[in-house]
Amino acid sequence: MRPKFLVLLAFLYAAGAQAHKPSDSYLAIGVEGAAVRGQWDIALRDLEFAIGLDANGDGAITWGELRARRSDIEAYAFSRLKISSDGKACTTAGTALMVDNHSDGAYAALRFGADCGTRPPASLEVAYSLFFDLDPTHRGLLRFERGGGAQTGVLSPERPRLAFKAGEESALSQFFDYLREGVWHIWIGFDHILFLLSLLLPAVLILKNRTWNPAERFRDTFWDVFRVVTSFTVAHSITLSLAALSVISLPSRLVESTIALSVLLAALNNLWPVVAERRWAVAFAFGLIHGFGFASVLTDLGLPQGALLLALVGFNLGVEAGQLAIVAAFLPLAYALRGSWFYRRVVFIWGSAAIALVAAVWLAERSLDVKLWP
Amino acid sequence: MGFPHASHCKQKKIYHQTVLSYCFYRIVFVPGRAKSLIGWLLTLLAAASGAGAAPYVPKDDTVVLETLPTRPGDPAAAELRRMRAASADAPADADAASRLARRYFEMAMAEGDPRYVGYAEAALRAWPESPSTSAEILNLHGMLRQYRHDFGRAMADFDLALKADPANSEARAWRAAILMVQADYGAARRECELLAQHSTELHATACLAYVEATTGGARAAYQRLAAALARRSDVDPGFHAWVQTRLAEMAWRSGDNAGAERHFRAGLALGTDNFLLAAFADFLLERGRPAEARALLQDWSRSDTLLLRLALAAQALKRPEAEGYARALGARFADAALRGEKLHLQEEARYLLELKGDARAALAAAAENFRTQREPRDALVLIEAALAARDPAPAAPAMQWLESSGFEGARIRQAAARLKALKP
Repeated sequence: MRPKFLVLLAFLYAAGAQAHKPSDSYLAIGVEGAAVRGQWDIALRDLEFAIGLDANGDGAITWGELRARRSDIEAYAFSRLKISSDGKACTTAGTALMVDNHSDGAYAALRFGADCGTRPPASLEVAYSLFFDLDPTHRGLLRFERGGGAQTGVLSPERPRLAFKAGEESALSQFFDYLREGVWHIWIGFDHILFLLSLLLPAVLILKNRTWNPAERFRDTFWDVFRVVTSFTVAHSITLSLAALSVISLPSRLVESTIALSVLLAALNNLWPVVAERRWAVAFAFGLIHGFGFASVLTDLGLPQGALLLALVGFNLGVEAGQLAIVAAFLPLAYALRGSWFYRRVVFIWGSAAIALVAAVWLAERSLDVKLWP
Repeated sequence: MGFPHASHCKQKKIYHQTVLSYCFYRIVFVPGRAKSLIGWLLTLLAAASGAGAAPYVPKDDTVVLETLPTRPGDPAAAELRRMRAASADAPADADAASRLARRYFEMAMAEGDPRYVGYAEAALRAWPESPSTSAEILNLHGMLRQYRHDFGRAMADFDLALKADPANSEARAWRAAILMVQADYGAARRECELLAQHSTELHATACLAYVEATTGGARAAYQRLAAALARRSDVDPGFHAWVQTRLAEMAWRSGDNAGAERHFRAGLALGTDNFLLAAFADFLLERGRPAEARALLQDWSRSDTLLLRLALAAQALKRPEAEGYARALGARFADAALRGEKLHLQEEARYLLELKGDARAALAAAAENFRTQREPRDALVLIEAALAARDPAPAAPAMQWLESSGFEGARIRQAAARLKALKP
């Protein structure tokens, strides 16, 4: 038997894009002290194919039908997952059955615990064989969490075992990781530096009769800088924390454009002063939006669930430290030069103009999504 | 916020902090660590887009969690169960196994669901390729391989099948189809000529017309194929729909939009499939008729290829659900990336370009896609991404393809002309 339409199949489907997602399970395993716990999300469609869930045959799987098969599902799944610690097999048992949704439908979420003895494991090995007999294209997407970090791996028939070191990464080293990341970020984040500089440039000057004159006392300059830097810091710490904890999120194009706008306005304010005494308020208002910019970095790095606060504080302190370094380098120099023609004309006026120009280009690029310079 | 491609690390786009910090990590940290961070990022992306949000306990037993594609009571499902049982009862019966594998493969194609491809592979597990394997099983192996875009080994499988059975027109047709994907038109034409010796006139004409229409002869190919179709009255409806779709594309390509629409509608009257719907939706979107594209695809959001078109239509209509569609697509691409597979690059590039507005990332994906897949649509997205990113260099292979193939599409020709006019 060779139906006529066999030949057409080739032309119809050669290299056709897959219309759906293939079969995956999501296996998360976490270690805390001696306790090994996890959650295993297995697609209902796969379970239906393997052991049958649709008891009444109506083509729909209900929570009741799933719940009724809990012990069968756990027996089937956990006989295909071997967790061992330091070469010794752990006993794995389900603790709860829930439901989780992924991009391609509903999954049974099996919560489980693995008994690996009373000592914290130094290494964990996962041997996985779920569905490989039924569907060799099935993959187990493993996420291994310990202390603060996470590692991922893909389990396949070709590579059904993965091993991880389970020793805790010290909280301190993690804290320093994020601290360093914060410092680095303020250094490469030119827009944040330029915003701060635009607000600091006039700190060594005093606005009198609409012209800028050198400040008379260092104390005044110092407190002016202190107010600006502190309010900027407080503001961006607030939004950074809120965004990093997913309380608020804003579209990145809006955030990036507003940051460019803040730099532009701060620089223009030096050329045509509108706000002088209350620059700290400007720093606070725009600091809020800069916080969202910092948060996008933190989102990319990923916040360790176990040490969320520590990482957030570390990153924030890193940003502050980087900021302080800039201020410490800027302030004495600017104060020494404040009376000179060079500072007041070249640095202050032309510097502000240059910053305004750069910021204007950024604003155009980011808001219109075009590239104006290489 | 798009996931930065590695190629971004080379470019200095100072304001794009997400890219910078990602690149920083690639440079500073050991690969293992970087990998875990990518995993993290993708997980966060998926989490942010609402996928895998949080496990929950449904409020009562009657809550429907999942709707299955087939009901266990359907005759088709019952027949499949019989075939599974037959193959399981006789593990040494190659015919039972290949019948089951073919059925699964056909289901994968009809429903676009790759799970069935996995089931087909499992059915063939006991019969790996060897010169003594039957042509039927070799063909099935080749079909499964090309599905995973392993074209080299798929071609070898079909070659072996033709050695076992020189008159095997299926192996011949698959070879021609893969050569078309690889844009080797001379070789594809030879396969079509060989196909003519062991197949019907309509099949051979369809094969040759497909090559001709891609290489600058759309008008003539249209006439030949239309005439060959008119001479036959007993065409299988599935094949007939395919011919109508190709006729529509040929008419569209040579500027006959009314004719194209007539053929699309004739195809739809014979039955709907993923491929026909995608081509018709592209036509409607390009003709500035997004409302009709949306109506056409309303119930097809399960399919990634059609969800992409649905999202584009909703976006063109400025409908509120556009964002939700785009988010769902993003989550699916992120999930595919977690598997480490890149089978959707053309769709992903189009998504990045037209829905996310990230021309750089779209260009990187389209350029990577074009290395293995060189159909007109693959070239189109690459040229359009290069135009949007104002960076012609990565699109050079597509521009060469357009020049040497003589392909006639108006949209790609215009995009290519504008790309050429860009000052380097």
